[in-house]
Amino acid sequence: MITLQSYLTLSAILFAIGIIGIIINRKNIIIILMCAELILLAVNFNFVAFSYFNQDYTGQIFVFFILTVAAAEAAIGLAILVTLYRNNESIDVQNLITLKE
Amino acid sequence: MIKEIIFYTFSSILICGSLGVVLFRNPVYSAISLILTFITSAFLWFLLESEFLALILILVYVGAVMVLFLFVIMMLNINKQKKTSRFNSIAPLSLLIGLVILLELITLIWLQSTQFKETEAIVSNALSENNTLELGKLIFSQYLYPFEIAGFILLLGIIISISLTLRTKKGKKTQIISKQVDIDPSKRVQLVDLERGKK
Repeated sequence: MITLQSYLTLSAILFAIGIIGIIINRKNIIIILMCAELILLAVNFNFVAFSYFNQDYTGQIFVFFILTVAAAEAAIGLAILVTLYRNNESIDVQNLITLKE
Repeated sequence: MIKEIIFYTFSSILICGSLGVVLFRNPVYSAISLILTFITSAFLWFLLESEFLALILILVYVGAVMVLFLFVIMMLNINKQKKTSRFNSIAPLSLLIGLVILLELITLIWLQSTQFKETEAIVSNALSENNTLELGKLIFSQYLYPFEIAGFILLLGIIISISLTLRTKKGKKTQIISKQVDIDPSKRVQLVDLERGKK
């Protein structure tokens, strides 16, 4: 018997890996965007699991909307990344110090 | 029994894939292990009887978003950048923060597990056979306005990403629409009063 707790634990592990990936990364911004996708996937996991165990479709509707917003967010984030690369010739996180100077 | 085997196998693949996203040095490998993560979680969603969303996850994420990621990685020439350390100096601290978040979530989940008991009793009578039909009924009746807003957000995404990345060449001969609209018609046509018999 797979319980709701096992699904929630799985999504908690995914969420923590995403958070660690965002904080730990110094190499480039693409990895950070991917970790944001991982976190959204963990949230979607929670919604789908609750929808199944409560027999309610509303959770799946929410997952639908989250998928839409995440697709738009990925597109805009990558567009910002491309313009950043054109201006800086680098997408290294450490080189993004324009506001600091 | 078979469900448990599928669940534990696939969730271990899922965790390995998501660790790969964080740990791989090459961003292409990270993107590919993110694809593995998405496909595996789509299988797990099949186990939760949400077939439509599982297929949409494969189509939208693996088919569109991850291809977009791979295209951007291909266009930006990352390999010529200098080799720096993969992790920053606060790596142990961030690992600690992540582990604390994980521990908090897991204690919360397992302490509150008494509230979940009654929800598991309902599962015996399964959801309707036609997942897509039920979702469509809900979307086009109760959630119609959020659905419209979602479409509008996608339109905004298109416009923003095009206008951010569009680059026009200097000296290119195109019409400048703002100037065209801004023209005052009274200055364009000049009526000259000609007297008869004169040149």
